Order: sequence, then structure tokens, then C-alpha cells
Amino acid sequence: MAKTSSIKRSQQIGKIVLYLFLILITIIMIVPFLWMLSASIKTNTEVFKMTPFQFIPDVPQWSNYINIWTRIPLAKFIGNTVYLTIVVTLLQVLTSSFAAYAFSKLEFKHKNTLFLAYIATIAMPWQVYMVPQFIMMRGMGLNDKLLAMICLQAFSAFGVFMMKQFYEGIPVSLCEAARIDGMSEYEIYLKIMLPLSKPALSTLVIFTFVNTWNDYLGPLIYLKTEAKKTIQLGLKMFIGQYAAEYGLIMAGSIITLIPVLIVFLALQKYFVEGVAATGIKG
Amino acid sequence: MENTIEMTKSKKARNRKRALVAYSFIAPNFIGFAVFTMIPIICAFALGFLKWDGNNAIQFAGLKNFARLSGDTLFWASLKNTIIYCIGTVPLTMLASLGLAIILNQKIRGRGVFRTISFFPYVASLVAITAVWAMVFHPSKGPVNAILYYVFHIKDLPNWFGGDLILLTLILFSVWKYMGYYMVIYLAGLQGISAELYEAASLDGATTWQKFLYVTWPQLRPTTFFVVVMLTINCFKVYDIAIMLAGGGDGRLGTSSTVLVYYIYQKAFIEWDLGYSSAIAMVLFLMVLIITLIQFRVEAKYENA
Amino acid sequence: MRKKLMSTFLAMVLAATTLAGCGGREETKTQSPDGQTETVGSNVVSGADDAKTVLKWAIWDAKKAAYWQAIADAYTKKNPDVRIEMTDLGSSDYGTVLSTELSGSGSEFDVVTVKDVPNYATLVSKGVLEPLSDRIKKDGVDLSAYNGMTEQVTVDGKLYQFPFQSDFWLLYYNKKIFDEAGVKYPSNDMTIEEYDALVRSVTKSGFGDDQIYGAHYHTWRSAVQLFGILDGKHSILDKNYDFAKPYYEMVKKQEEDGVCRTYIDTNASQLHYSAAFSEGNTATMNMGTWYITTLISSLATGEYDKELVGDWGLVKYPHPEGVKAGTTLGTVTGLAIPTSSKNKDTAWDFIKFAGSEEGAKILASLGNFPAIMTDEVINTLTSLDGFPQDEESKEALKTVQIYLEAPYADNISEINTILDTYHKDIMNGDTSIDDGVEKMNKEVSSLE
Repeated sequence: MAKTSSIKRSQQIGKIVLYLFLILITIIMIVPFLWMLSASIKTNTEVFKMTPFQFIPDVPQWSNYINIWTRIPLAKFIGNTVYLTIVVTLLQVLTSSFAAYAFSKLEFKHKNTLFLAYIATIAMPWQVYMVPQFIMMRGMGLNDKLLAMICLQAFSAFGVFMMKQFYEGIPVSLCEAARIDGMSEYEIYLKIMLPLSKPALSTLVIFTFVNTWNDYLGPLIYLKTEAKKTIQLGLKMFIGQYAAEYGLIMAGSIITLIPVLIVFLALQKYFVEGVAATGIKG
Repeated sequence: MENTIEMTKSKKARNRKRALVAYSFIAPNFIGFAVFTMIPIICAFALGFLKWDGNNAIQFAGLKNFARLSGDTLFWASLKNTIIYCIGTVPLTMLASLGLAIILNQKIRGRGVFRTISFFPYVASLVAITAVWAMVFHPSKGPVNAILYYVFHIKDLPNWFGGDLILLTLILFSVWKYMGYYMVIYLAGLQGISAELYEAASLDGATTWQKFLYVTWPQLRPTTFFVVVMLTINCFKVYDIAIMLAGGGDGRLGTSSTVLVYYIYQKAFIEWDLGYSSAIAMVLFLMVLIITLIQFRVEAKYENA
Repeated sequence: MRKKLMSTFLAMVLAATTLAGCGGREETKTQSPDGQTETVGSNVVSGADDAKTVLKWAIWDAKKAAYWQAIADAYTKKNPDVRIEMTDLGSSDYGTVLSTELSGSGSEFDVVTVKDVPNYATLVSKGVLEPLSDRIKKDGVDLSAYNGMTEQVTVDGKLYQFPFQSDFWLLYYNKKIFDEAGVKYPSNDMTIEEYDALVRSVTKSGFGDDQIYGAHYHTWRSAVQLFGILDGKHSILDKNYDFAKPYYEMVKKQEEDGVCRTYIDTNASQLHYSAAFSEGNTATMNMGTWYITTLISSLATGEYDKELVGDWGLVKYPHPEGVKAGTTLGTVTGLAIPTSSKNKDTAWDFIKFAGSEEGAKILASLGNFPAIMTDEVINTLTSLDGFPQDEESKEALKTVQIYLEAPYADNISEINTILDTYHKDIMNGDTSIDDGVEKMNKEVSSLE
């Protein structure tokens, strides 16, 4: 009897510690978000004022949330960014998981060298090859076109690398069994690999989404016409030559942060334990 | 005799077909990747041996760019800082994100919300989070130093953004920013571990720690490999964090905070010395390659075991 | 089940590629009347749709700064057969974007604004700017009106940009603080020693609101190091920067004595100079003329508290002993023609206009400082609503000699990188003044 109650107690203590820890993490992570909220309703001079630090300013500038739509064509920027993000994410997820299957479950000559070449390119900072790339893209007529951003982002080595690692976790025996059953590789990919890799696919979707949504340097170099610019370029417009309007930047950041968090929350259901456990027998 | 020859022939044919199928899988991604990314990267490699500013005629420079590296104080400073930053950030972030993932994989109420909160520093505007850190760690007005002063009675307050501590501040900042990101990867990896393995371990009387050591950790090896490789690469490529956190208002870094990609950017886009910046990038690339190869070897060894 | 998965899969692929393809057709393609290849749509335009010649102009802050449109409109009114299309490349990374855009040979711009001298040096060494000297001679443009500026950016006898805008440094001060301290306002003829003494006399050490800073130095290197070039005997191309030591020492001592905020603090909190001055506890601040319009408009909109900083004035930049008052630091923004332009003659005509006295008047009426500072221009500026009306402040706008912060040298960017790095180390206290300057000397000398 005593043993069960002491186990129960240690479990309870464990739980309390766990929740305390979670609260601590939450505080650490969420402070900047609260600061952003606070800054978004301040005037520019108030934003960085530290002594005294007022969380809610005397005169909250709710107008910031209205001005961001009128001062810059934020709606258009959001539209462009949404378009880019959706296309890039779709292409990236499809082509990466497709290629990753081959690297993970198929055998062919030069597999390892090719894979190494893929990963190796991730190591090169974009700043280094950006100029040759720009000159080449412009030669193809892609300067100042949204299509340029798609070409640059949709075919990354990162996606292939990540998906391959996840596929490693799916036993080869599944694929072998399917092959014996006479399924073609394409069918194996569609019917076995894809469904089993929902957490991995969700991860890739999240990362690609965030990357494209927050991309600054790419659009900066390639998108010149205002009608084509993206959110990050738009927010930078509030930083003029001589002054920066941080209140507006923060309000804009908050607004454009929301879709990302929504997508993340929505994909959470794919991170449920046990999804991949089905079908693994012997 | 004839049988074997025919068998070899059909085996060859099968292999070729298999290879073609494999290539067809890779093709969509690879073609786009090769054209838009790989070709420019190859050009960038070539640039390391040339002298070019983006407009004037390209001149051959042989190994001159590389020779220049040895006397370049700022290059060595950037290299040193980047390596230190890497050594600090990679293990800490990996452990933090793994721990976070394991905790948030438990059946806790509202864990989706906690996960989203952990992910937040990664998606938030860099301007915002660096501003908050600048305030929190402000040498004379921030709460951290206030606590050190009033609670711990430390008279000589540390300058978190000065030469001695800036790298530490950068490391802490990076761990904080990225642990949510790698937590997501670990979460996905954790989903792939069959519950049966844990059940079997329980039946064998394993403690929680033993379950972790003998089930979770080995099963997560491909994921850990990915995490460590990506962490290493991303640490070597650190750029905008350094500028925002250590750059003061004007985005310039001093010798204690300059990092490789910042120096590369200076050489490439401010001074338009594309050949030299490529040479520096090649050093970066080589280091990452070596480290990655080592990790590959370690991983392969485990796979074969 | 199989079919359904397959078809969903195919549908997605189809959708992705169609969308990607659509993106390509979305662009506005206009065929200009003279049969030029498709031009990319622009945001800010001046002039008729059917104008014969179209000039594409690279600028920044298209919507924030009114003078671009004003100048373009003034020109197209006089020249109705020209249309000007302005493209905003963004202010924060303007130099990078422009230099990248002009790399290779496919750029479509006819006129580019060259933001500062390092940007100018980069573009000149890349060989992408059209030399203007012959055109200047042919049209008989008088360069003496530009106060020596063009000499400082002439390369091998050739000039590649036409001065358009120019700002210079002066001293801003908060009259209220001086009144309350019972100290006389700064004068238009102060030596640097007198300046040091003045800011010390008005400093008040205290806590929070009580504290008054006599001076404020922004984190830019130019705010501290460049006092040293005012005697005309030194420049940052010297390869020896010992001339800057006394000024580093002066500022460091001021930091120690609480006369100004420490660099460590300003750097860590990324305090913008506008916030520092408008807080109302900064007695003087050395800064460029570009801040004048911001100060005026922020007071007008109420963003700055009139109680705190509404009563402000200007005086000429403090100078070393023996140097004439009105000697100061400056920057120049010019207009240039890319070699790839197809409308060079029209572009030249436009540039000439923008940099002329007429263009200067337009800039001045909007509160910006043109490259030509005639008495009339100065009058326009001082008559702006909100400009301090005391005689001293008006006098402050008259300069005698402007030394460019960054004079032309083909490796000016490399020099800047080195100097900025060690400046930061010195100001942050990571290295001593002597060591830092020593490193500057060594490394700039070792540049080929």
C-alpha cells in the first residue's frame, strides 16, 4: 500500500515540476512577443524608451494597425507572399519527398556522391553565389519576376536531406514486401511512404512556409517593382533613410506573424504519437 | 553456361531499369536544383581562383586569393569567432531541443499551445527579438544586470555586448531562437518510434532513463544526424543574428563579433571583391565539409553495426 | 483508393506548375513606343503615357520623400516628350541592390542616384557609370557652384556623377536646457576646446529625468573620428590615423565624466540619434543637416514633445584652432548615367536640371539640402515652417569648406571596413585607443 502511494506522490511531484518547467519556458519564449505587442501601439520614440519602461503607453497608438495598410500596400504584399509561399511549399514538398525516396530506399550508382553533393551545397552561404546567380537569372529574363523567387526556393537540397533522414526511419522491409507484391516504385511512394511520413511532411511544410514567408534577401535583390514586393520588403519600407518607424514595423510584424502561427497550430495534429507505428510488423 | 549469361544480361537490364526509375524520382528536384542553384555555386567556386568585381573583365588570379588569407587579420578573427560560436551553439541547441521535444511529446494538456510558443522565437521578426534581448541584457538599464547588482552585489557589471561576452550572448540567443525549430524536427522523429519498442522495454523492467538510452536515442539517430549537420552548417553561416545583436545601430561588427559570412558579405557586396569572398567561402565550405564527412562516417558506422 | 490518391497527387502537381506558370504571365509588360523591349512596370511615374522617351530612374524612399516626384514633375512639365519612371530600391540596402542590379550588363536604368561616396567608388571601379566631363565642358556647366565638392569625387580627371544633394554636419542644441542651466548658447565660431568646455558646463549628473547630457555622439565613426580631418591636413586616405587620437580621447573622457552617453549603452540599446535628442535631456548633438526636416516634422506632428525639445537651434560645426568657422564634414549624393542606358542624352539633360539651381530650389522648398547652396537656397530653407528663427541658426547653414566624410579612392570601401571595425573596438572598450589606431594604421597601409 505504502509503495503505491509513494509512487503516486513521486508522479505528482514529477508532474508539478514538469508544469513549472513549462511555465518557465513559456515565459522565456513569449516575452518578445509581448514586447512586440507593446511596441506596436507606441510612437517611435517610445518604442526603445527604457527608463521608465512602460508596457502600455499613455496614449496607445491603435492607429498603427490602420496605418500599416494605408502607408504601404500591405494587402498586395501579403497577397504576393501568400502566392509565393503556397507555390514554393507545394513544389518543395513534392519534389523533395520524391527525390528523398530514391536516396533512401532505392539503390543506384553514384547514390552517395550525389547525396553528398546535395548536402554540400547547403554549406555555401547564399551571399557567395548570389551574384553569378543573379546575372544568370537576369539572362533568363527572370529579373523582377515572382517566378524567380519560385525557381530559387522550390528546389532546395534541404528538403531532400530532411525527408531522406525521416525515410530512414521507415523499415525497408515494408518496401520490400510491397515490391514482392508487385507494386511499382511509384506506387510504393504514393501508398506507403507518403502516408507514413505525415509528421515529416508537416515539418517540411512548416519550415518551407516560414522560410518563404520571412525571406528578405531574395526578394530584395530580385523584386524591384513595388507591385511585386513581399511582406518583409514592405516592412523594411518603414525604415527610411533617416528615421525608422518601429511602431509600424511591429504592428506589421504582429499581423503577418499570425498566419504562420495558425499554420503551425493546424499542423500539430500530425505530430500525434503512433501515426507511424501502424503497419510495422515483423 | 548460357543460363548464367542470360541471367547476367537480364540482371543488367533490371539494374538499368532500376537506376532509371531512381533517376526519375530525383529528376524533378534535381533539375531545378542543378540549374538554379548548383550552376551558380560552381561559378562561385571558380571565382575563388579569379579576380572579378561583377563588371570588369574577369582576370585569372590563381592562388593569390588564398595566399591573401594568411595575412588577413579580420579573416582570422571571423574564423575564430565563428568556430567558437559553433562549438557553443551546436551541442547546447541540440540538447535543449531534444529535451523540449521529449517533454512536449508527453500527453500534457495544451501541448500544442506550448509547442507553438516554443516555435515562436524562430518565426518572430528578428528586429523584435533582438530589440528585446538588447533591453533585457542592457549593460546599465537591463533587468539581468540589475539583478546581478542588487541581488548578487556584483560591482563590475558585465557588458554583454562587449568584446569578452558578445559571443556568449550570441550563443545564448541562438539556442533560445532555434530550440523550437529543432524541437519540431525531433518531434517528427519521435513520432516514428514504434510504441511497441517502449512496451517491450517496460516489460523488461527498464527505467525511464534506460528507455531513453536504449530505445529513444538509438531510434533517433537519423534525426540527430540531421539536426547536428544542419546545426553545424547553419552556425557556420550565421549572419543576420550577429548583425542585429552585435551590430549596434549601424550593422557593423567589431573584431570580437565579426563572423565569416559577414566578412564574406563585406568583401562581396561592399567591396565587390568577388574572387576573394569566394576564396573565404571555400574555406568555410571545406571546414563544414570535413565536419559533415566525419559525421557521415560516424553515422555509417552505427548503421552497419 | 489507388485512383483517388493518384489523381489527388497529379492534381497537386498540376496546380503547382500552373500556378508557377501563371506567375510568369502576371507581370505588366509594356512596350514603349520606340520599340524598346518590355519594360518592367514602375511604381512612381511622372509624365504622359505616350511620351516619346522614357527614363528609368533608380531612387529610394519614393513615397516617404516628396522631392523625387517634385523634381521629376518639374522636368516633365518642361519636357513633355519625356516620361520618368522611378523605381524604389529601398533605403536600407540601396547600395547593395543598385550595385547588384548594375552587375553584368542587362540593367535597364537610365538614371541612377548614387547615395554616397563609397557607393560611387564601387560603381566607378566597376566601370558602369558614364563619364560626364565631356558633356559638362560642352554644355559649359559651371562646377564652382558646388563648393569644391566635384573636385573631391573626380577620378583621373573624369567626373562620373553630377552633384544632386549634399548634407553637412552642424551642431544641434536644446535651448531650454541652456536656459535652465543659465549658460550662454553655443556660438557659430567655436573651437573644439571651447565646445568641450561648453558641453561640460551644461552637464548635470543625476538620476533618471534629472540627468542632462552635454553632448551626444551617434555610433557612426564619423561622429567621433572625423573631427580630425577638419584641419584639411588629414583625410581618411592617409594610412595614418594618429590625427584621430585626441578626439577619441576627448570623447572617452566625456563618457567617463558623464558628459555624454557611453558608446556601450548607445550601441547595446541601438539608440537612434533622433530618440537621444528628442528625449529632451541632450544639450547638444553633432549630426548632419538631414536631421533638420525630421526634427521639424516630428515636432509638428506631435511625435516629439514640444515641451522637451521644441526650442532648438543650430550652430556651425566646432572647428580646430586656426581653422575657419564654417568648415565641416559633408556627404554628397549624385545622379549618374549607367553605361548600359539607351537614352544617355535625355538622361544627361535631366541630371543637369536636377542638379541645377532650379532643381536646388525645389529640393530646398521641401526641406532637403541640395548640392548648390546659394543665398537664395539658404533663404528658402531657413524660411521653412518650424526652422529656428534666430540669426545664429540661419547663419549656421553657411559653410566655407566641406570635407567629404569619404573622399574618393578606389579602395575606399575596404578602408571603411577596416576603420569601422577598429572604431567599434575602441569605443566599446575592447581595445585601447593607441592599440586601435595602431591597427588601423597597420591594416590600411597593408592594402595594395
